[in-house]
Formats: sequence, C-alpha cells, structure tokens
Amino acid sequence: MSVPELVTVSVDGREVQVPKGTGLVETALAAGIEIPVFCYEPRLGPAIGACRMCLVEVEGMPPKPQAACTLTAQDGMVVKTALTSQLARNAQNATLEFILVNHPLDCPVCDKGGECPLQDLTFRFGPGRTRMTFPKRTFDKPIPISPTISLDRERCILCYRCTRFSESVAEDGELVAVNRGAQSMIATFEDEPYRGRFSGNVTELCPVGALLPTTYRFEARPWEIQTVPTVCGLCPVGCNVNVTTREGKVKRVLSRNHPDVDGGWICDKGRFAFGHLGARDRIVDPLRRQRRRGLQPAGWDEAVDEAERLLRAAQGRIVTALSGSETVEQAYGLAKLMRTGLGAHTAVLPEEISDAVDGFRLPLSAIAGAELIVVVGDDPVEERAPIVDLWLRAARRNGAEVVTTGVGGGAKACRQLAGEDDELGRRLRESDRPVLIWSGSGGAGGAHVAACAERLGFGSKPDSGVFYLPLTPNGRGVVEAWSAASDDEGPDPDPIGLLFVSGDEAASDPSVRSLAERADAVIATTMFQGSAVGWADLVLPGTSYLERDGTFVNLEGRLQRLRRAVVPPTPDELAWISQLAGRFGVEVSPYPSVVFGELSERIFGGLPYGEVGERAALRGREPTGELRAPAPAATPKGRGLRLVRYRPLFSGAAVERVPELAFQRPAAEVQLSPQDARRLRIKAGDEVDVRSNGTSRRLRARIDKGLVAGVARIADEHAEELQATVEVARA
Amino acid sequence: MIDEIRRVAEQYPVARSAILPALRIAQERHGGWLPPEAFEEVGEALDLTPAYCKAVASFYDMFHLEPVGRHLVELCTNVSCALVGAQQVLEAFEEELGVRPGETTEDGAVTLRTIECAGGCGWGTVVVVDHRYREPVRAEDVPGIVQELRDAD
Amino acid sequence: MPISEILLAGASERDLTKLEEYHMVGGYAQLARARELEPAAILAELDASNLRGRGGAFFATGKKAGFMPRDSPRPKYLTVNADESEPGTFKDREIMLRVPHRVIEGSLITAHAIEARHVFIYIRGEYLTEFEVLRAALDEAREAELLGGVTLVLHRGAGAYICGEETGLLESLEGKRGQPRAKPPYPAITGLYGAPTLINNVETMATVPKIMELGGEEYAKLGTPDSTGTRVFSLSGNVVRGGNYELPNGTTLRELIYDIGGGVPDGRELKAIIPGGSSVQILTADQVDTPLSYDAMREAGSSVGSGAIIVIDDRACIVQLGLRVAQFYMHESCGKCTPCREGTRWMVQLLNRIEDGDAEEDELDLLLDVCDRILGHCLCPLGDAAAMPIASYVDKFRDEFREHVRAGRCPYGGESSLERVFAPVDQHRGHPTVEVAT
Ligand SMILES: Cc1cc2nc3c(=O)[nH]c(=O)nc-3n(C[C@H](O)[C@H](O)[C@H](O)COP(=O)(O)O)c2cc1C
Ligand code: SF4
Ligand code: FES
Repeated sequence: MSVPELVTVSVDGREVQVPKGTGLVETALAAGIEIPVFCYEPRLGPAIGACRMCLVEVEGMPPKPQAACTLTAQDGMVVKTALTSQLARNAQNATLEFILVNHPLDCPVCDKGGECPLQDLTFRFGPGRTRMTFPKRTFDKPIPISPTISLDRERCILCYRCTRFSESVAEDGELVAVNRGAQSMIATFEDEPYRGRFSGNVTELCPVGALLPTTYRFEARPWEIQTVPTVCGLCPVGCNVNVTTREGKVKRVLSRNHPDVDGGWICDKGRFAFGHLGARDRIVDPLRRQRRRGLQPAGWDEAVDEAERLLRAAQGRIVTALSGSETVEQAYGLAKLMRTGLGAHTAVLPEEISDAVDGFRLPLSAIAGAELIVVVGDDPVEERAPIVDLWLRAARRNGAEVVTTGVGGGAKACRQLAGEDDELGRRLRESDRPVLIWSGSGGAGGAHVAACAERLGFGSKPDSGVFYLPLTPNGRGVVEAWSAASDDEGPDPDPIGLLFVSGDEAASDPSVRSLAERADAVIATTMFQGSAVGWADLVLPGTSYLERDGTFVNLEGRLQRLRRAVVPPTPDELAWISQLAGRFGVEVSPYPSVVFGELSERIFGGLPYGEVGERAALRGREPTGELRAPAPAATPKGRGLRLVRYRPLFSGAAVERVPELAFQRPAAEVQLSPQDARRLRIKAGDEVDVRSNGTSRRLRARIDKGLVAGVARIADEHAEELQATVEVARA
Repeated sequence: MIDEIRRVAEQYPVARSAILPALRIAQERHGGWLPPEAFEEVGEALDLTPAYCKAVASFYDMFHLEPVGRHLVELCTNVSCALVGAQQVLEAFEEELGVRPGETTEDGAVTLRTIECAGGCGWGTVVVVDHRYREPVRAEDVPGIVQELRDAD
Repeated sequence: MPISEILLAGASERDLTKLEEYHMVGGYAQLARARELEPAAILAELDASNLRGRGGAFFATGKKAGFMPRDSPRPKYLTVNADESEPGTFKDREIMLRVPHRVIEGSLITAHAIEARHVFIYIRGEYLTEFEVLRAALDEAREAELLGGVTLVLHRGAGAYICGEETGLLESLEGKRGQPRAKPPYPAITGLYGAPTLINNVETMATVPKIMELGGEEYAKLGTPDSTGTRVFSLSGNVVRGGNYELPNGTTLRELIYDIGGGVPDGRELKAIIPGGSSVQILTADQVDTPLSYDAMREAGSSVGSGAIIVIDDRACIVQLGLRVAQFYMHESCGKCTPCREGTRWMVQLLNRIEDGDAEEDELDLLLDVCDRILGHCLCPLGDAAAMPIASYVDKFRDEFREHVRAGRCPYGGESSLERVFAPVDQHRGHPTVEVAT
C-alpha cells in the first residue's frame, strides 16, 4: 500500500497533519475542534452540503462562508471555525435559526430529547429566543411510514440523510423526498409502508425526532437507560449492536458500527425482533410430561432430576440436535456433557461447515473494495446474510462487477469456473481483488468454493477472498465447539434412546422432528411453547442471545463477544448444563469466561476471554492443506422447474413473535426467471399454481432478473410440502 | 407506452435520464395528470421505483398529481405581467369560468392555474392555453378564449 | 437608435429557421472552418473576443471552456442551457425561434473546441413551440450531415426555475429532482454522469459563429471593454414597446427604455428599474442613465444579469413588488439547503404582514436581517437571488415600507398595479399535503 501524502492544515490556529484529501470536518476533529453538522454523513456517499450547519471561513477562498463538509484538506489551508471567525459564527447562527423556524419546540415529549443533535447544538450555539412569530408548518403527525417506523414531518429538518440511505446505501428507492422548496417532505409511495430490509437504519440516521422506531415511542428517556454492547445473534453476520435497556427490559437495538463487519448498519430483523423476549408463549418454567395430564410445569430441581433420569435411561444411545444459535460455551458445555459424560458422540449439527474457506479469509468490508465478485448459489444473499448484500451494493457502486451464477447447481458452477477455458474463471484468475461467495444449500460448508478459489490462484492474492454464508448465526462456533470437546467417536445409536433438542431452530427442523418419532424420549430446550411442546417429554426453558454471555463466531470466522443485555426469566442453559454435567462427573463451569478459558486453548489459540474485544479483530488466513471439493450432490432430474426453497430473512421463531414485523414476512410468491416466465406466458403479479406429485400451491408470480432459467424459487414457509421438481402454470 | 418510453430512453447514456419525457408521455395517456398507476408504469419502463418517479414528478410544476380539466389555462402572474394587469386578466377568467386558480370547472372542461414567469414578459399578460402561448391577453379577450375552449370541447 | 444585428443578423429579412435561408447568410460556414482548426485556436478566438456568458453569471466563455480537461478517459459533454426562466427574461426564446440554426452551429463549434461528441440542449418544458422549431432545425441539420458525428439531444424540462442553475440542470438531465450540487467538484471535472461538462447559455452559443466570422478581436470592439459585443435585451413592464432588442453592451437604460421602448405609457412616472431579471437589485428612476454594462451596473449597485429590464411606474407598491418577488423564490427554492428553503418562506410571511399593515417597525429590520442571513450561506445562488433584490427594495424604498407600518395599511389603498396578485404559491394554500404558504 502506498503511504498517503500528508498535508498541514491550520484550524483556528492549531496546526494538524492529515492525509491529503481528508474531509475538513475530520481534519478539524483531528485538531480537537468540532464542526457541527447535520446532513454530513460520509457513509451515505459524497457530501451534499445541504444543511449549511458546517459553514466555516477558509482563507483564500471567496469571502463567504464555505461548507466544510464538501471540502477536503489541502496543504497550507487556513480554516477558521465559529470559534475564531465572526463570519463563520454568524453563518452558523443563521443556519440554526432557520432550522428552528419551523421546528416544533416539543422536546419534552419527543423521544429524541436528551440524545438529539439538534437539541445539543441549539443549546450550545442557539440564540435562546425565537424571532419567528408566524404559524409554523403543520402536518398530520406522527404518521406510520411502516409498522416499525413513525414519521413526524414537523420535526423533520430535511437533511436528506434518510432518503440518501434509501437511495444510495440500501438502494431500495422507497423513501423519498416529494414536492419542492418549503413544501418538501419525506414520503413513501402513496400509503405503502417502507418495506426495506434495512429501513430501521433511518431512525438512527435522523438527527432529530422525525423518524422514530414505533417500538421505542414513549418507552424511555435517555437518563434512565443502560447501554449494553453486544452482537446480534440472528444471522451469521454478527452485526455489532448496542442494546438499550430500561428496568431490565430491552427497549431497542442500535448499531454499534464495526467498520469491518457491518459498517454501522443493521437489518430490521436485528433491530426489531427483540420483542420476542416477551412473547406470550415464552416458556419460563421447565415442563415435564406427566402421564395422562401431558406437559406440566415443574420446579428446576425436579427438572434436572428428570433430565438425569432420562439421560441415564438412554444408556448412551443419545442423539444431540443443535441449532447453531447456541453460544460457543454453551455448545461446548453440552458437548462435554454428552461426549465425555455419556459417551454420546452423535449429533445433528446445525449445518456442515468446512474450514477450507479460512485459507481465504477476508473482512466483510473488503467486499466493498473488490473488483470482481461471483456469487454462487440459490439463495438471495440478503435473505441469508443481509449486511453482505449492503457490502455487495457498495462494491457495485465502487465499480465492481457482481455476477450471480450457479443457481440450482452451485457445485457444478464451481467446477466450471475453475476449469481451463471458462471466461468468468479466467477473469477471476486475472483479477487482483476477486471475491467468491457461496449463498445457498449444497455448498458442503464452503468446500466447493474454497477448492474453486484455490484452483483460481486466490492463495497467492492477499486481497482475494472467499465467503461461505451459513444458515445459522453461530453454526461455525457450534460445530467447532462440538468437535473440541472430544476426539472420540462412536456408532450412531439405533434405536435412539434419547433425542436432545437444543434450541427452537432445531426443534422446528422437520428432520429433527422425524428423529423424535423414532426416539424413546425427547428432551428439548426451547424458548417458546410452539416449538417442542407436544412431542417432548421434558422441556427446559431456553434463552435468547440478548440474555446470554459468551462468544459467537461469525461467517468471516471472527470471534465476537456476546454480552447479557437483560437477565433471562429463567436460569440460562449453561447454568443447568453445568449442574447436570456434575451428576455425570463432568466438570462444566456455569461461567462462560471459565468455559471459554478451557476451550480457547483448543480452538482459539489460547486467546483470553477479556481480549475477544469490543470490536473483535479477525484472525489471519489459516493454511488449509490441499483442498479437494466433494462430489456435487446429484441434481434431481425431471420435467418442469427445479424448486429452490430458501429461508427468508423475516422468518423463524423470533420474527414470528413480533407483530410489528408481520408486514415484512415474505409474500406468498414464486420467483421465476424472465425466460421461464415468457415461455410459460406468466406476467409479474399473475396468480399461478405450483404443482408437484399431487400437491399444489397457489402463489403470485414475481419475475426476478437475477434468476437463471429452469428454477422456481419459493420461501420455505410457502413451499411447504412441494417436491424438488415443480410445474408452474397460470391459475 | 412502455416500449415508447424505452425508445426515448435510448437517446441517453443512462435510461433514468428519460424520466421527464416518460412522465410526460404517461401524463398524456392518463388524461393530463399522473395517477398512482402512472408511476408504476414509468417505473417499470425505466427500472425505477414508483416512489422515485413520484419524487421526481412532484418536483416539477408541469406534472399534475391530481386530475385536471380537458383544457388547461395557465396565466403568468410574475412581475412583468402583473405590472401590466395580469390580476385583472385572472379575475376575468375566474368570473368567466366560475373557479379559483388551482381549480377545475365542475364540468371538468377547464383547469385554471397561475404560473411563474412564462418567458413572454414583453408581451404581457401571457396566457398559456393547452401549452400554446397567447400574448398579450387583456381582460377583454378572456370571454373569447373561454368560448373557444367551450366550442372545441 | 443603435439596434444592431450581430446575433440576430439576417433574421429580419429572412426566415432563418430554414436551413436553405440560413445558408444564404453564411450559415454553417463557420462550423466548417472551425472544424479545420485546432480546438485551441477556437478557444483563442473566444478569449480574444472576451465574450462573457449571457446566462447571468457573466463568466468569460473562453476561460470556462479552457477548464475542460484536454484528454479525458470519459466522454465529454456540452450542455446548452435553454431553461430561460428568470423573471423578465425572454431573449433565448427569441433567439431559438428566429435563429435556431445559429444556436446549433454555435453549439457544434463549441463542442469541437472542447472535443465533445455529445451535446444536450436543455429547453424549458413550457417552450413547446420553441422546442418544435429547434427540433425542425436539428432535423434539417442532421439531414444535411452537419452534425459531423456529434449526437445532439433536445431535452425538455418540466417546469422548475432551479433547473436553469447549471448543476440543478445536470441533476435534472440525469433524471433526478433538479436540486443543485455542491461545488467543488466543478462540472468541468465532474459534470453530467460524472464526466467533464461545459454548460453555456443559448445566447452565448448563438454568438459563437459570429465571433468566428468577425474574429475575436473585431468582436471585442463592439460594446464596452468590460462587456464586449451585443446582447439581446428583454424589455418589459410599464413600457410602451416591450420586446427583445439586440443592442451593444453599454447602451444606457434611458436609450433602451425611452428611445427604443417608447417610454412609460399612460403618462405615468418612472419609479424604478430592475435591470437584469428579478434576481438583481432595483434601481431608482434617477439611475436611468446607467449603461447596461458589467462595470457600470456594478457601480450602480446592481447587475445586468440575464439582460432583462423591467420598467416599473409609479402605480406599483414596492412592498407588493417585494412580496411577489419573494413568493417567486419561495415557490422555486428547490428545498435542499436550509437558509433558502426556510428563509424565503419567512420573507414571504414578513412581507405579507408588512403589506397588511400589521407589522412593527422592527420587523423591517428583521426582514433585512433574514435577507442578510440567507446571503452567502446557501448552496447555490438562488438564495442570494432572493435576498439581494428584497434587501434592495427595503434599502431604496424604506419610506414606502415605513409608511405601511405607520399607517397600518398599504398607502396605495388598493390602487397599486400589483394589488393582491395571485401567486402560484397561493395555490398550495389549504392543500392537504402541500400546506399553507404563509
Ligand atoms: C437560480 C438560477 C437560475 C438560472 N437560470 C438560468 C437560465 O435559465 N438560463 C441560463 O442560461 N442560465 C441560468 N443560470 C445561470 C447558469 O447557472 C449558468 O451560469 C449559465 O447557464 C452558464 O452559461 P453562460 O456562461 O453561457 O452564461 C441560472 C443560475 C441560477 C443560480
Ligand atoms: S439556495 Fe435554494 S435553490 Fe439553491 S440549493 Fe439552496 S434551497 Fe436549493
Ligand atoms: S453538514 Fe455541511 S452542509 Fe450539512
């Protein structure tokens, strides 16, 4: 990397050296001087200079105030801010007065009050008295622009941060400014809700109380809240978040900006799904099956006794089904109990994860700087790992080419790419900054793409990268923890004496359900009634990622720290795993830090718990030895279209329990390629019947230009019992 | 219509540049204004969201977001025209049509609007009838113009 | 009187909208000659002519063209500004209607000078007839293979004054809301579609063939040293013969208004003159001998702007004038930057109150202060264009403003020529989504 040229700038008489081209706002900050801003937000693209809050005097430029946000540091520049320049001071006073002219003074009842940049700046620079004696602009307020966001147009200062986010970050084009001049206002189309996957970010971008999460309205004041820094546990990205709590309840989730992981954005699932903590069907007491009376609440001592009894009765014929949402520590503790305590080595792991991709490790943020990106697989990236989609969009804006390939047959596509005369493969080979991403099923945990990358020479290119998008938030950590607990192996039990189901995701997996049918007894730990009640013999209450301490490993292989934001209404998993393990002579600490200390030696190079860090670093690439791709699974043959099911972002136990997110659930639709649609004479929006082997679903057609021909893509919950090959026809 | 818009878009290096012509075409098709469907159609043709299309349309005065009459009478009341009696001409139209500026006659025949400087200042008052300039127009010409529109209807 | 014919040469005798006729007066000969020349040689002629932009900002045309990078990996664009919406201005319209081929020829010469292969003419949407005339001329030129491989696209606006501002124009041409961009970067570096772009006014472009014909130095002898050549001045308001007149720069207001325009009608008195479109400071009747040149106007405390002279007689209430002008800027503010969006609305509110006779004396100072707080603080010059004229009305006619305050009503008692003029912003009143203006 070349060293950037340093330039010297004087700000209010203080000299600072910064790399040439640094923004003036940042330059002043380096000199310890704050230039107030509203519209400026570098993450939204080039500065627009709209609000005029940042006016400063710059020597040698026209004798009028300049917008600092649109200028960059040049050598010898002499800048005077409002601290030393009357011109700048007048300008800032003017802007503040104009902003306040139509801004209601409802700070006492505004949820932003106390953490509002406008309030702060008014307090610091404001005139203290208004000269405006006319009626202010009035609007109906607040209006919901979606079930999760409300808009108060009177408070809006038209900084255009939200619309720029919609246009140039999320690129959803749904939140816009309409009308002109003093009549301008923020709006969605007609009465449609703002239905972006990332819409909630605008509530954090808004510098006033105009855009607020409906879930936070009148819930708390800034001086009575606590902030807990943790990571989101709902998808494999692991966005860094701050959780706001008040009186032991989660009130909201905000981004905590890890520049390499999330760039300061979180998706709406991560932001709004916290409501599941208080779900009505949340299980807070253990439930034990009583003859004839079904599941009945039980005390903890009784429950642990019963668990011990069931475990012993199985005589080692135990299968453990994991969700991939356990913490590393919890999974390790459970593994120790089962494997060393009971000799039960059989597990249904949440997913297959190959460590082959670790040889091509790269921070997610590097995607934005990539040159050529090939996404292999069936699943829309934004459904599996939403923030990765934002990085891809950033890459495209920065001039990268993003190609999606191999829908319905990724492994084959990988082979082809790595072949001698593949055009795309040739370009990947020639590029300095190529990235391969696997998004979908059948990826052998990343082994296919990793092998492909190796053959394409990624190994010798430090700026190349391979990402495998797991289905579960901590699938990697859980798989590693399971194997770290023991090196022994054992035969798969048949018949199954006991099925141990860890977590709601495992409990709702049909294949786990069918194992349950073959098991003599079932123990399940789940958060919600709906998941396992009815077919388990003992249900132990589960906890949420917001209620646990421990660590997670995200899709990059980055180890991150989970912090307990609120105390769960029930002992957490590690507490009773520890107790239970003791009954079998196995030592498992109830403290995540101690458990981590034990397992870190084995899988994280001895890293101390305390050093996992607030903004976790990424380990370097790990040599993987010779890579060989497994044989691709046979693709089903037959007439008709290949059904591709995907797990939508807005699905799963937590989302289902949050009424505000209901509108984000996937529509009952089938996605078709333009070619197939044309061939089948189907137009966007048509009602169609999707049929296979006697089952049929009526869905609405959507044409997706990114889809290859021969595929029909349907969200899991709408595909239900459809088979691998389907026929689609207009209803 | 979608094909027509796409043809216009070919003139530009970036299709979005065709949004003003596209909205104009859509407005003509929809009887002089842009109902919500129009934004969906233009959006489809240019690969933009309807919200974006409406955001653009609402910025420009020549796009109407509410229904208008079969004829449009637009009258400049900017300084030059005002100095030579635009208000009197406007009042004559109000009288003759029985509507205020911004309104449409009950029979849906004529919408009356005032507009900013039309660029005919030396020959005020400028009245733009169905997109064609009449200049100068004086209050006494108004009944004739209105009659003309009624006859044409 | 010194009515000249440089730019409009031949148009009174012939129908120069026809290519055939335009050829008869030497049409497109300069284009052919220019194409034989090195681009630098054309820029040198423009520099020698000291032609300054006719769009209002008065920037030296040759110099601005010189900012365009010589070699650029991206295409370069020439954009011709035919958005003409400055109140009082209607000269580009005349030029397009009468010498459309000269506009095209000038644009093609300029495109050659900056080595651009793409030209866009952004014409205001209301100019339908003008668009048709230009389109017909363009078709003829294309037919006659005069474009020489250059693509020339006529792009119609849709009713927004701000799209005349050069960066607002570029945004609009890119299919966005026409809100101005922050500068830097300047259009010559990052303009249309992020590529180097030169933006020039229609009249500026139509002058170019004449400069090539006469030679830059010869052209510079016309007009005054600081304001060379001729301009088509738009004369309007309380004057007998309003219209467009091509005159040498430096002609006095008196010559234009009285000798050419026939003076103030109906035996009324001259009260004030707006010499350069509504965005410039007002002049009082005693300044009628000021020449229409850059320096002289600056000395007189105003500007020639877009060359639009609005004559105001003694029937006009200046407060009402201020209100109507402020309403225009409020209506046309794009809404992007705070001082302009909020300030123009506040100005309208204050002027309404003053006109109604409900204001206190200190509100005149507040009005001036609001102007002052807009001035120099906005993203683009529109805010200044609103603040400067209004401040000048209060400055120059303070007594009349005071009179409103003191008497508690308009001293014209309903007899002013600008009494209660219904502005387009008034149409927003009571609108469900587009709320109350005042
Ligand atoms: C609010 C505003 C409106 C403008 N309107 C026009 C216009 O309608 N026509 C025009 O040529 N220039 C207009 N300009 C000036 C242009 O920004 C630009 O300076 C001009 O087109 C450059 O051409 P020129 O150098 O040939 O004059 C306007 C400027 C502002 C700030
Ligand atoms: S000065 Fe007015 S028109 Fe110009 S950017 Fe600001 S708001 Fe828009
Ligand atoms: S922060 Fe610079 S103009 Fe808004």
